[in-house]
Amino acid sequence: MAAAAAPRTPVVAPFEVYRFDPAHDARPHYARYTLELAPHTPVLTALLKIRDEIDPSLTLRYSCRSAICGSCAMQVNSKSRLACETPIGPEIERHGRIVIEPMRNQPVLRDLVVDQSPFWARYASIRPHLVSDPSRPMPVGRENPMTPAEVDRFKETPRCIACAACYSACPAVEADPQFPGPMALAKLYRFVVDPRDGARQDRLLRIQREGLWLCLRCHLCTEACPKDVRPSERIRDLKEMAVQAVGVTEPGSRHAVAFAENIRRAGMLNEFRLARQTFGPVALLGQVGQGLRIWRKKPELMKRPHPIEGLDELRQLYDALEEPSEESR
Amino acid sequence: MHRHDVVVVGAGLAGQRAALAAVEAGRDVAILSKLHPLRSHSGAAQGGINAAVGPEDSVDTHIYDTVKGSDYLGDQDAIEFFCQEAGPTVVEMEHFGTIFSRAPDGSLARRPFGGAGFPRTIYAADRTGLALLQALWEHLATRRFTLYEEWDVTRLIVRGGRVQGVVAFDRKTGSFDLFAAQAVVIATGPAGRIYARTTNAHSCTGDGVAIAYEAGAQLKDMEFVQFHPTALVESGILITEGARGEGGILKNKNGERFMSRYAPHVLELASRDVVSRAIVTEIQEGRGFPGGYVHLELMHLGREKIESRLQEICDYSRRFAGIDPVVEPIPVLPAQHYMMGGIGTDRRGATNIAGLFAAGEAACVSIHGANRLGGNSLLETLVFGKQAGLAAAEYAAKAPAPELVQSDLEEAEAPLRASAARADGEEPQKLRAEMQATMDRYVGIYRNEADLLEGVKRIRALKARFARVRIVDQSRVYNLNVTDTLETGHMLELAEVIVVGAYARTESRGAHARTDYPRRDDANWMKHTIAIRSPEGPQLSYAPVAYTRWEPKERVY
Repeated sequence: MAAAAAPRTPVVAPFEVYRFDPAHDARPHYARYTLELAPHTPVLTALLKIRDEIDPSLTLRYSCRSAICGSCAMQVNSKSRLACETPIGPEIERHGRIVIEPMRNQPVLRDLVVDQSPFWARYASIRPHLVSDPSRPMPVGRENPMTPAEVDRFKETPRCIACAACYSACPAVEADPQFPGPMALAKLYRFVVDPRDGARQDRLLRIQREGLWLCLRCHLCTEACPKDVRPSERIRDLKEMAVQAVGVTEPGSRHAVAFAENIRRAGMLNEFRLARQTFGPVALLGQVGQGLRIWRKKPELMKRPHPIEGLDELRQLYDALEEPSEESR
Repeated sequence: MHRHDVVVVGAGLAGQRAALAAVEAGRDVAILSKLHPLRSHSGAAQGGINAAVGPEDSVDTHIYDTVKGSDYLGDQDAIEFFCQEAGPTVVEMEHFGTIFSRAPDGSLARRPFGGAGFPRTIYAADRTGLALLQALWEHLATRRFTLYEEWDVTRLIVRGGRVQGVVAFDRKTGSFDLFAAQAVVIATGPAGRIYARTTNAHSCTGDGVAIAYEAGAQLKDMEFVQFHPTALVESGILITEGARGEGGILKNKNGERFMSRYAPHVLELASRDVVSRAIVTEIQEGRGFPGGYVHLELMHLGREKIESRLQEICDYSRRFAGIDPVVEPIPVLPAQHYMMGGIGTDRRGATNIAGLFAAGEAACVSIHGANRLGGNSLLETLVFGKQAGLAAAEYAAKAPAPELVQSDLEEAEAPLRASAARADGEEPQKLRAEMQATMDRYVGIYRNEADLLEGVKRIRALKARFARVRIVDQSRVYNLNVTDTLETGHMLELAEVIVVGAYARTESRGAHARTDYPRRDDANWMKHTIAIRSPEGPQLSYAPVAYTRWEPKERVY
């Protein structure tokens, strides 16, 4: 009964769709299509209707139409979404129209189809496979035991469908080719917490050098993920595990630890101290130019801070946070 | 021209497992696929994978359940082999890294499934296919092979009774190319898009089965089409049998748990054909909800169980139907789900053509016979994918070098060039829509002679019109109109085989239900349908079913 009760009255759906065929177009343009569809209609259904009834040359990837194959990620009104599970109604209510564009951070091949080879290469770079541990061979003829609690440690990472919506939304991917991206790091987390994997230490050591600390902690990946994998939270977990397992080895982790220590000491940052602890006394010389620029523009940042009021309370908070938790073990 | 020992067409679980076996046997292997391997339709399988492990269950019970589920059309020697391989196959996938759901003692968790005498379906929440696909791909990716991604296969080249290779279309560049190979493994999965109402992905268009048929391969038992009892009403999106395995119940508009009339012993966990027919009968007799559907109720299971074990279908119901299964029933209706038929193979994947192998849903061994049990298809992809890969590797090692010629390429390309040059004619999507409507209406769950005759007539008329199909898009880059045209042509070939086979089979068995012949007819029809292509359409012949230990009995649940 409830299905019949859902709003079924068609609404006018004005689409503006990014079109670009490198064989014919000098530059991209936006094609307008107006359809009348029920508000719960998924964007993918609308785009396929355009293909079937208006313009068969509209080009996009799609397959399962049930949010499990990861083919149809694209920008819907500037957000990375799966077209198959995004209904048109709320988009029209909020934006008055539906602007469809290809995913970001990946070169456009044609219309909404992007070249995903860089995305797959970054995924491959984290060694996404079980590495056997010679000292702990797999049991012969039977499965490895794994408790439900151990399965829970994977969190939502097994739900990842590699749609690249997170990769498209990520500013660190755009800024730095060294950053593996949210999907690859969530996948790395999945292997780091796997009790069957023999390369935990090595994975954590390597990722500290290979981009873990380049995450900007903006959480746009978690917002974009259609399967609730929460990559930014798993990246946070990886940082914690990396510091605990292999120590404070890289500028990224040194910065994080120094930051915390600064706050505990005075309740606010000592920028000079922070830079020295992050880069070390020698590499600090390389930062002199940057320091001078800051000193010229914002001299107050370079003053030695006085301890803030309520510092004791802050330190108590720190002590409480440092109690070893179930998560980080 | 590309050159490999073994070319695997399709990169789902069967194709990947075949490729892994052939690589491990030392052959030079290529995988050719329309989709990135992680986007394959295997990933959409929800419920689980059957294996009789543990002291309480037995391989024999699994064999018996599969034989009975097949309505005695499955080949019992193949089924015995299949069920014996189940345990080692699941363990291997666990060792490759599959994240299965677990019991409190740390062993693999198992849930009850339809038609099974014991809870033997091992699962990963309700995304078992995705869990297996990820683990197998991640394992395979550590090996040496060549992946041709987003290529449409257009033709299988057979000369002198042997496979020489395939022709394929590269979406990225718009060019056709030859792939010479001693052995070809077809693992292109289902062709569910022949129907409008299907749980299958848009890409499930039977390409590999069609090119094999066009090249002279025998298709087996194509008239047996499984309709899954529970799909969302509007979209046809699958609601896993696991929902009933976890305790979900079906009700009609009068609030009756109607399965008690059709399968008094096991109710909702009867075999899929039985439950699908029950739902259609309820609706036809006026006990469906307005608009024609029934309810699947999960509410009594409680939020915790629904949201943890049925997480994906919870999402699907909320997102695609606006229904929260924690507090309200899910409106459901059967939809095309699985093809029991396919390229006829032996249990090593070999076909009637030397060098041609097939596995997974594209193949028909046959272990599913007239009706497949839930949880047996994921197992089939892995067990027979491996067998086909091994057999293809063995064959390729001793077969003569393949010979392809330029005219193989030109002949494959010519009809598409003609379609692109045509100023009039019909677009493929129009023909596809008419084919889908025809199959839904005339070749559905309940069939009869008049409908099937009409179906044959209509599909043949569509095939005639397809000769003048027109490609509108003129771009060389990622031209999906070429793909649409290829797929529609492939599906029309297979649709004809399905409807001709269904018309000829004057009995009801498993998923093939004839209202004019409502009984199983073992005296005349305990045999496989074999279809061979001819210019006049499929030529049918029949082959015996292999028996070992199980005498046919009436199938009661």
